[in-house]
Amino acid sequence: MEIHVDKDACVGCGLCVKDCPMHVYELQNNVSVAVRPNNCMGCLSCHEICPAQALEHRGVYPARRHYIDIKVCEMLRKVI
Amino acid sequence: MSAGYIDELHEAFHSDLAYRSEDIPLECSPKPKEMEQTLHGVMKLNGLIIRSLEEIAGRGANAVTYRAGKKFGHEVAKYFQKREDVEGALHELSDLLRGQYSFEVWKPEDKETFIIEENGETFIYLVFHDCIVRQTLRRNGLEQGGPLCQTLFGYVVGAIEEITGRKAKLEIVHTGPNACLKKLILK
Ligand code: SF4
Ligand code: SF4
Repeated sequence: MEIHVDKDACVGCGLCVKDCPMHVYELQNNVSVAVRPNNCMGCLSCHEICPAQALEHRGVYPARRHYIDIKVCEMLRKVI
Repeated sequence: MSAGYIDELHEAFHSDLAYRSEDIPLECSPKPKEMEQTLHGVMKLNGLIIRSLEEIAGRGANAVTYRAGKKFGHEVAKYFQKREDVEGALHELSDLLRGQYSFEVWKPEDKETFIIEENGETFIYLVFHDCIVRQTLRRNGLEQGGPLCQTLFGYVVGAIEEITGRKAKLEIVHTGPNACLKKLILK
């Protein structure tokens, strides 16, 4: 798994450090650094919690998404 | 556990996709037509939950849903080949769960083997990727790890017990939007 933290976007809140069950991140000079990327199991909790949307995972398996509301998405597509 | 089987699993759950926080899913994946099998699984499971609720009403939601899942696991797995090895049982289990759940065996980098012995316990980490329970909870805005997750616990435990004849237990280590980590404890 390759994990990229956008250093310019990261605000150093440390939420990903606290939330990751595998202790993948560490704060270094107020920026999150993925120090143990091989311990990542792809839950993407860190994506959900990061307020700066600073994270990118390469090599993750995207789980099936059955919960998407097709009608809402059709409407969204018209406006996006 | 043979390296071939593990590699095969890891290959199935690896992609070259770059996943960014701002990626908003705009369509169901896979297409709804391909979900029929999954929906049947949900309907059957719900039926068993209700039946079990009637049987043991008043004993707490978790106990009820766990029991329903376990019944489902035993019922479905009884048609599968019985085997004693855990690797074979997990293989059978992934066939059994196909269309509803998918998982891979996993280990932290400091562990040498997938079967881990720690504090007198023997266990295997399983990462659940596709999961109808997680989908249902997220569709309804409900928290993960509650009674509905117990159905999956029961299901896996029931199926492993049926296939191997050994007692087992499943524990949540972490729940996430894309995958959940569970511990399969072997007794
Ligand atoms: S995806 Fe999960 S395991 Fe991986 S770094 Fe994020 S929180 Fe940690
Ligand atoms: S949660 Fe996001 S902003 Fe906060 S430290 Fe982690 S990467 Fe940086």
